[in-house]
Amino acid sequence: MSEKCSAAKRGVYWATVCGNKQIGERFYRLGLEFSGAGAEAFAKIGAGQFAQLDLSETALPPADKIPDELADAAERKILLRRPFSFVDVTTKHNKTSVDILYCVIGPGSLRMTSLSAKDTVSVIGPLGNGFWVPDGKKTALLVSGGMGAGPLQHLAKILTADFRDINVTAFAGAKTVEELPFERQLDEISQQLGFWLREFARYGVESLVATDDGSSGFAGPVTDCLLEWLGKSDSACESMVIYSCGPEAMLARVAKIAKEKNIDCQVSMERRMACGIGICQSCAVECKTDRPGESIYKMCCTDGPVFNSKTIVFHS
Amino acid sequence: MEEKVNISIDFAGIRLGNPVFTASGTCGYADELSDFMDVSSLGGFITKSITAKPRQGNATPRIVETDSGMLNAIGWANIGLDAFVEEKLPALEKLSCAVFVNIAGETIDEYVAVAERLASSDAVAGLELNISCPNVELGGISFGTDPSQVAAVTSAVKNVVGDKILMVKLPPAVTDVSVIAQVAVDTGANALSLVNTFTAMVIDIETRKPILANATGGLSGPAIKPIAVYLVNKVYNEVTKSLGIPILGMGGIRTVSDAVEFIIAGASAVAVGTANFVEPGCAVKIIDGIKGYCASKNILNIKELVGSLEVN
Ligand SMILES: Cc1cc2nc3c(=O)[nH]c(=O)nc-3n(C[C@H](O)[C@H](O)[C@H](O)COP(=O)(O)OP(=O)(O)OC[C@H]3O[C@@H](n4cnc5c(N)ncnc54)[C@H](O)[C@@H]3O)c2cc1C
Ligand SMILES: Cc1cc2nc3c(=O)[nH]c(=O)nc-3n(C[C@H](O)[C@H](O)[C@H](O)COP(=O)(O)O)c2cc1C
Ligand code: FES
Repeated sequence: MSEKCSAAKRGVYWATVCGNKQIGERFYRLGLEFSGAGAEAFAKIGAGQFAQLDLSETALPPADKIPDELADAAERKILLRRPFSFVDVTTKHNKTSVDILYCVIGPGSLRMTSLSAKDTVSVIGPLGNGFWVPDGKKTALLVSGGMGAGPLQHLAKILTADFRDINVTAFAGAKTVEELPFERQLDEISQQLGFWLREFARYGVESLVATDDGSSGFAGPVTDCLLEWLGKSDSACESMVIYSCGPEAMLARVAKIAKEKNIDCQVSMERRMACGIGICQSCAVECKTDRPGESIYKMCCTDGPVFNSKTIVFHS
Repeated sequence: MEEKVNISIDFAGIRLGNPVFTASGTCGYADELSDFMDVSSLGGFITKSITAKPRQGNATPRIVETDSGMLNAIGWANIGLDAFVEEKLPALEKLSCAVFVNIAGETIDEYVAVAERLASSDAVAGLELNISCPNVELGGISFGTDPSQVAAVTSAVKNVVGDKILMVKLPPAVTDVSVIAQVAVDTGANALSLVNTFTAMVIDIETRKPILANATGGLSGPAIKPIAVYLVNKVYNEVTKSLGIPILGMGGIRTVSDAVEFIIAGASAVAVGTANFVEPGCAVKIIDGIKGYCASKNILNIKELVGSLEVN
């Protein structure tokens, strides 16, 4: 993974649903299973890579299961696929299972909630470039906002399995405790030991929680929590790497901190995507070039979604 | 029966193995699609619009989904003529289908410069002229909406393309598309493609702002198909039928029956656009399906189907 991990053979594959569990008011975890060529293609998918799901044929949930604020949006027909990254990937007996952590925000994700075991979904992937590990790193800091927590859990698993000399700490932020996409927080004793979230603790990874309203953990933005942690840390900045995924405004703040402290930093960007495979040019991300003041557009789906934070021109 | 059906076509003087293309701007420079389909199995491939200089394109959001369609305002993002010729043409030359390069410009000189250079390449079967571009010398009026501009740009490009096919791509939202089509044909087009996208807008009702950074964008996808079929049929009847000029029909094609509808309406060939985003490789399925349709109707040569609309 010291190289950028790019996609194995991309293709259109059918996956079978093996679970779709509600883990919060608007959060679900969807399990998909691939066999055959799909299993092979997705077996080695890197953290931060993604896939495009066709949800256009998926039924809406019954009316009483549709949140009021989405009742209007639910009427919209879907044409394009929807991009999702993964929270976990496992292989067993020539099958590959991938889990998607998702938030219900519109007609596509709403339809996703009605998927149940044995349903099939058309998936294009694996797509894009995931997180990579630069040489000489001893500390990895995973900073997520909201749904960004998904791919960073996948990364925690990979880092702890394949890069055992790297110390990993996760920071998870959200507006309120209800908007943290985790099943349940650990008890107070674990929290005092630095383990707030079971999803990270299962890999032996310490985690901290930050909520804007102080309803859990650090009161304030997750970036302030990160700053406080960095203030106390005696690790050398060159030996650290920050991985971040979440809303763009948060990524911009993380990138700024990384720049000020001279820490390597990778951010996972999100754009509206029509194709996900580099043919429509819809997912432009403004990036700096080697020449001062000059910028070009790169494609989020094929050049990213994970970028070195130094290259991004943030607007928020 | 199916193996006896001939779906190869004569398209403005060249032989194509089948009548299915992929549409400009929806299939990149071909290399991006190779994981999903054998591009050579298409009848024709059309690149995204190429301009004289590289263009970065518009700010984001560049697209927004609508019911059964999408708006795009990509802004002709492309690598520019020089890089296209050096980096992309060699790979396109290896394809065994006919390669068309779509060209765009902001002045007639720009169109001519790009056309002249591309016409000298053996890899290129023809050019598709995107005339839905603003003419900066005339305050940004779209070339394609003004018959005198259509004449000026078509004849200027015709002068430099030698024996390459010159296909003019018609914008659909004009008072009478046949007037534009007639002018294009009179001034040198030996094929027409239609339709390009319809200018449209989606508003965010929370902010009361347009969703696209460019405010407006081009509507494509299944939503426009019935209008596109109508316009193809109109141009076929009023302009091209008597002259034997082929039409490349497009707009919302996603299924075999969509493609067959366009052919019955008068298109000699069809192009798949937005559907490539959802089902890359669907163009290949459509080729097989057209063959199957012909077989089921005892049509031995696809020619018999072109413009076979029965009017009650
Ligand atoms: C590479 C990548 C990985 C992703 N991974 C995940 C994931 O693991 N879990 C997850 O829950 N979501 C993920 N997303 C986001 C997910 O794709 C969207 O939530 C989904 O497309 C929403 O579809 P919808 O039909 O429910 O809502 P839409 O109606 O499509 O969108 C709902 C709202 O979000 C806005 N919106 C939609 N797309 C974007 C965008 N790209 N940028 C800004 N605003 C937008 C719309 O304007 C609308 O207000 C990812 C996106 C990308 C690009
Ligand atoms: C994202 C996108 C980009 C496009 N880019 C171009 C372009 O560069 N030049 C051009 O002539 N047409 C372009 N088109 C128009 C298509 O070639 C086609 O005419 C139109 O989309 C209608 O077909 P469809 O409904 O099958 O997509 C583009 C369409 C889309 C959706
Ligand atoms: S989503 Fe089409 S190019 Fe990135």
